[in-house]
Amino acid sequence: MTMKKVININFQGRILPIEEMAYENLKQYIESLRTYFEQEEGKDEIINDIECRVAELCDDRLKKGAVCITEEDIDLIITSIGRPADFEAQDGFEANTTNNASTNQAQDNTQTAGGQTYQKRLYRDEQNKVLGGVCAGIANYLNLDPIIIRILWILLFGISFFAYLLLWIAVPSTSVKEVGGIRKRLFRDLDKKVIGGVCAGMSKYFGVQVAVIRVLFLLPTILLIVNWNHFHLFQFWEFDDFSNIFDVTFMPGAIFVYIVLWLVLPEARTSADKLEMVGEKVDINSIKNTIQTDMEGFSKRAQSWGGPFEKKQTSPAANTNTNTSSANTNNTNSGAGGLDQRKGCFHYFGRTITILMKAFVYFILGIITISILAALFGVGVATTGLLPLKKFILEDGLQSWAFIGTILFFIWVPVIGIVTAIIRKIAGYKNSNIWVRSSFIALWVLGWVCISYFFSSLGNSFSKHNQPIEKSIALVNPAVDYLEVTASPKMKYYEQRWFNIEPFQVYNDDTVRVRNLKIRIVQSKTDSFEIKYVTMSNGKSINEANSLADKINFSVMQQDSSLFLDRGIAITNKDKFRNQHVIMTIAVPVGKRFKITNKGWSQTTINMNHRGIRTETINDFGDDSWVDEWNENWDSESFSYDRGVEYRMTVDGLEKIKSDFDKSNYDNDDNNDNESIDEMEEQLQKLKKDREDLEQNLEKTRAKQNPTDIKKKQQIAVQTPSRLNKVAAVAKKAEDLHLLIQRFTY
Amino acid sequence: MDIQNTQSQMRKGVLEFCILSIIQQGEVYPSDIVEQMKAANLHILEGTLYPLLTRLKNAGLLNYRWVESISGPPRKYFVMTEEGQKAYEVLQKTWNEMTTSVDAIITPKANPIVHQADTAQ
Repeated sequence: MTMKKVININFQGRILPIEEMAYENLKQYIESLRTYFEQEEGKDEIINDIECRVAELCDDRLKKGAVCITEEDIDLIITSIGRPADFEAQDGFEANTTNNASTNQAQDNTQTAGGQTYQKRLYRDEQNKVLGGVCAGIANYLNLDPIIIRILWILLFGISFFAYLLLWIAVPSTSVKEVGGIRKRLFRDLDKKVIGGVCAGMSKYFGVQVAVIRVLFLLPTILLIVNWNHFHLFQFWEFDDFSNIFDVTFMPGAIFVYIVLWLVLPEARTSADKLEMVGEKVDINSIKNTIQTDMEGFSKRAQSWGGPFEKKQTSPAANTNTNTSSANTNNTNSGAGGLDQRKGCFHYFGRTITILMKAFVYFILGIITISILAALFGVGVATTGLLPLKKFILEDGLQSWAFIGTILFFIWVPVIGIVTAIIRKIAGYKNSNIWVRSSFIALWVLGWVCISYFFSSLGNSFSKHNQPIEKSIALVNPAVDYLEVTASPKMKYYEQRWFNIEPFQVYNDDTVRVRNLKIRIVQSKTDSFEIKYVTMSNGKSINEANSLADKINFSVMQQDSSLFLDRGIAITNKDKFRNQHVIMTIAVPVGKRFKITNKGWSQTTINMNHRGIRTETINDFGDDSWVDEWNENWDSESFSYDRGVEYRMTVDGLEKIKSDFDKSNYDNDDNNDNESIDEMEEQLQKLKKDREDLEQNLEKTRAKQNPTDIKKKQQIAVQTPSRLNKVAAVAKKAEDLHLLIQRFTY
Repeated sequence: MDIQNTQSQMRKGVLEFCILSIIQQGEVYPSDIVEQMKAANLHILEGTLYPLLTRLKNAGLLNYRWVESISGPPRKYFVMTEEGQKAYEVLQKTWNEMTTSVDAIITPKANPIVHQADTAQ
């Protein structure tokens, strides 16, 4: 690079033309001094003095004819004044032990040490700490952005929690920051932004093309567009189809990540930020420069000696004057020297306790925050998933908008806010802009307004009940002996699996079906079946509820001993769902049988997704049950019953005849049957075989008609029933088990 | 024994004495101190000198004066206070005593007892 930007600065009362890079280096140097002298009493004065001196040296350069202050000039000046790391070498004993070794070598002119810089050591970084400065220290050591180390820590949190505590206690702290190198940081790059500059900033940090990052962000959206006709919105709770998760979760995920990063990352405003964003360029020149500076610093250090004078080690024959001065210097030194003395056992123990307490509190707070976040996130996903149903439930206009407002502002705004705050805290960025924060709060307040309006208005919509009118249905043949209540087969519908929340079933764009039916069984006073039903609905007013209840069109059809009921109540987007339901009463005459089935619902559902059509036959109850779970005795008149069980009405109540589960259907497709059942079955087969053998024997003995065999025959006769009993017992056990398993799988 | 440690302690011990001695000779500018010490082959970084001067000033041993300069803003010159003068005298006395004693010890002729003991062994 031959062109360099030169800026004019007013530095300690002197106007200096200076190269921009040189200025950045100078700024960093002053910053490092400030950090180093943090504990000093006369900190500002010292730094001011040094700044004056630097300005003077710069001025000298200009007087000697330099056009401007170059990077090399600044490097020379800094080297002559010394970097904090060099002071450290002159100051403390610990640093001296390593450095003086090289000092000796250099004095002997044996240049064995070559490009050896002062030894890098791991320190906790007290200046940039969040908890104990461990992450910042490691990042400093590895010359990385602390946010990366922190995110890694959090990812490995489980394992690293105790490791962190140990390091916190064990690693010493220092205020010396690595000086010279420019540390890369994540910024938003506003120069190359399309939306917020997030992608551009990330590309700078990772050193890849912007296009790569953009494509990564856009990929889910592109996939979605390619598959747009099979768009499965928020279907990630259905894990049976993995590709769904892939193309759906990524879309909102990428947007979410983008928004959070946008809010979290600071923009690269100053040229220093821009420099940090790219980090130090690593090419041969910069490496050479680094080595050169190191070498110069190294030889300087080799010739220099001494350091701040510690009064404690001065002559013991000090008079009163030096005593007062020693007291003073000790005060100023207490930050460095006094610490060693205080590092007694007790101090160490106390520090450990404090650290543990602090960590514990942070831990608890973290858990609370994460659980609140998870809950909000879950509610957010669920309610967002409910959006397609909105038009069937909510009134258009204000109520719908309040619902959307609730989802956006009451749920998603705090989620994004908390995530942002956590990441900012972890990243150690300064508090967010007051505007961002107050707009977050304002949006959340808006969310509160929305949610309270939404619930009050929704409650109002559901507040009134209709006046129930009982209607009866004339049966074609009410005098049958046996009635099987089952779902109407004639209505075929292809379930659209992209949306299916119990008890709703989307039928088409304008209609959903609500499986909201209760069946009561009562005793008939006549000798024929009687069927009555009541349609029920809620509404804003009694009139509205009545009209909605009237609109319920529920048909029942009898065919011999089968009674077919509608599969659900149709609800259009005009009428809305106001908890419409049907209560059907079946009066069963004494002595007659009935069954509310769950069998006979076997139907083929067709699943459409972008991989093609998949058919699936559902043959068990549970997934496809249409009858409301209502097996409790819900009023004095009616009886409780189980579905799929045949009952006979008696004077005293229901008598169970047989259950669908009673048929031993082991050889069915149930893969869930565990081995014990197979074993049981084996045993059963074996016993059956034994019985057959015995019966054959019996035949034989009868044929022989041998008197001696009569005893045997008797024995066998005795034996056989007991064996039969055993068979029955095993069979019963197997059935019970099967029932249990079915219940579980349901 | 840690040789380097002792070495650096010895150097540190005389650093403050040297600086006081230079200032005692008259009003000085910090970089002049560095130059004078460099001439005597004693190297000190300005970065360590400034904090040291500030400490000494805060301890009341030194004082400073703004001196107008031809080339720019006024510069800070350090002078000795009375208190500093006394402290310096004490240190100088100690230094003189010490050099005499150390000389006496490290000169082999002046220490025949050690020699005898060595040969006896």
